[in-house]
Amino acid sequence: MEWWEDEGLGLKKTDVEAMREAWRREKAAPEMLEFEEELVRRLREQMQLQEDTIMAMEGDGDGDDISTTSLQLQHMDLDRALFLLKSYLRLRLTKLQKHLFFYASLPHSSSPLSPQELLFCHRCLHATSRHLHHSLLSLLPSHYQSLSRQSTSSDHDDMLHSHSPHLDTFVFCKPTTDVGAFQLDDTGDDIVDLVVDDLYVLRYNSIRALVQSRRIHLI
Amino acid sequence: MYARRAAQLLQELSSCEEGQLPPYNGDKFDQVIRECEEHSRQFQSLIRDKDIETKNEDHYGSFIHHLSIIRNKRCLMAYMYKRAEVIQSYRWNVGRVLPREIQDKLNFSEQEYFKDYCGVIDSYMKDLDLDLTVDMVPPKDPYIRVRVLSEIGEVSLGDHAVSLTKDSFHFLRRTDAEPFISQGLMEEFVE
Repeated sequence: MEWWEDEGLGLKKTDVEAMREAWRREKAAPEMLEFEEELVRRLREQMQLQEDTIMAMEGDGDGDDISTTSLQLQHMDLDRALFLLKSYLRLRLTKLQKHLFFYASLPHSSSPLSPQELLFCHRCLHATSRHLHHSLLSLLPSHYQSLSRQSTSSDHDDMLHSHSPHLDTFVFCKPTTDVGAFQLDDTGDDIVDLVVDDLYVLRYNSIRALVQSRRIHLI
Repeated sequence: MYARRAAQLLQELSSCEEGQLPPYNGDKFDQVIRECEEHSRQFQSLIRDKDIETKNEDHYGSFIHHLSIIRNKRCLMAYMYKRAEVIQSYRWNVGRVLPREIQDKLNFSEQEYFKDYCGVIDSYMKDLDLDLTVDMVPPKDPYIRVRVLSEIGEVSLGDHAVSLTKDSFHFLRRTDAEPFISQGLMEEFVE
C-alpha cells in the first residue's frame, strides 16, 4: 500500500487491479466479454470521490512540497484509472463496430453489451444501413437490394458471414488454478494438461468457458 | 471476366495506405451498377416464358448472370463498407471536423454518414458522461507545458480562466490541453 493510501486518499488498489484485469481480458479476447457493470460503477464512484478530494486540497493550497507531491501523485493515480476505464470502453466499442450486425442480432439475454452499448449498436447499425442502402443497395436490380442477403433466393444471411467474431483465434493464457487434463475439442483427441501459472497458446473457443469462470487469465 | 471493374475498385482501395482513402470513384462505381442492370436485363430475357424446370443452356446462362450480379454486389459492398470503416476512424483520429482534402474524397452519402456517426458516438459518450476521444494514450505527467500556436483567447479551465494568447506558455492539465493539441492550436513544449 502506498503511503497516501494509508491516509485513505488513494483509489482502492483492488478495484483498479480488477479493472486492469478486465482490460487485459477484453484486449485479448476476440469476442466482447460480459460488461463489468458493477466494477465500472464502483470505480467511477471512487474516481469522483478522488477528484473531489483533489479539488478540495487544491483549494486549501498549503503550497508546501509534501502537499504538492501528494496532490500530483493522486492526480497521476486518477489519470491512470481514467485511462484504464476509457481504454476498456474503447476496446469494447472497436469490437462492437467490427461485428456490428452480429451483436445487433444477439438475443437480449445472451448479449454482453451494456445498455448504453446496446443503444449505440442499434443507432450505428441504423446509420450504416441507411448509408449503404442509399448509396448502393437501392441502385442494384430489384431482388438484390437486401443488406443481409445476396438475393431474394438466399435462404440465410449470406452477406454477413464475416460479421461474427472469429472465436478460433489463438490467445496466450495462464491458468489461475490447476485445471488438470482439459479437452480442447469435441472429439476428445486433443487433451492438454493445464498447470497453474504455466503459459499456453490455445484457441480461444476451446478455453472460452474457463475464461468466463476466471479459471484462466488471458495475456 | 465479369466483375472486372468491381475488382479494380477494390484494388484501388487496397493499394491505399491503412487509415486513408482514395477519392470516391463515382465513374467506375456507376459503370458497375450499369453492368448489373445489363445482367439483370439478360437474365430476364433468358427466363421469360421459359419453363423453370428445363435445364437447358438458357437456364445455365441466366444463372451466370445471376452470379455475376452477386459478385458485383459483394465487391461494391466491400468497397463501400471498407470506406465506411475508414470514415468511422476519422472521428477518432482526426476529429469532428474533416479537413477539405478528406471531405473531397467522400461522396455526399459518405459525408452525411460521417455526421451521423459522429452523432451516434456523441450520444454514447453523453450517456456515459465520458469523453472517450481524449486520454487515448497512457498518461505520463498530469500537467504538461504547452505553447499556444494560434490565438485562442480567454478559456475557462476548471475553476479559473486562462488567457491563451499566441506564443504564450502555460502549465496545464493534460486533459485540458489535449483537445487544443489535437486541433493543432497548441503544442506540447518539451525541453
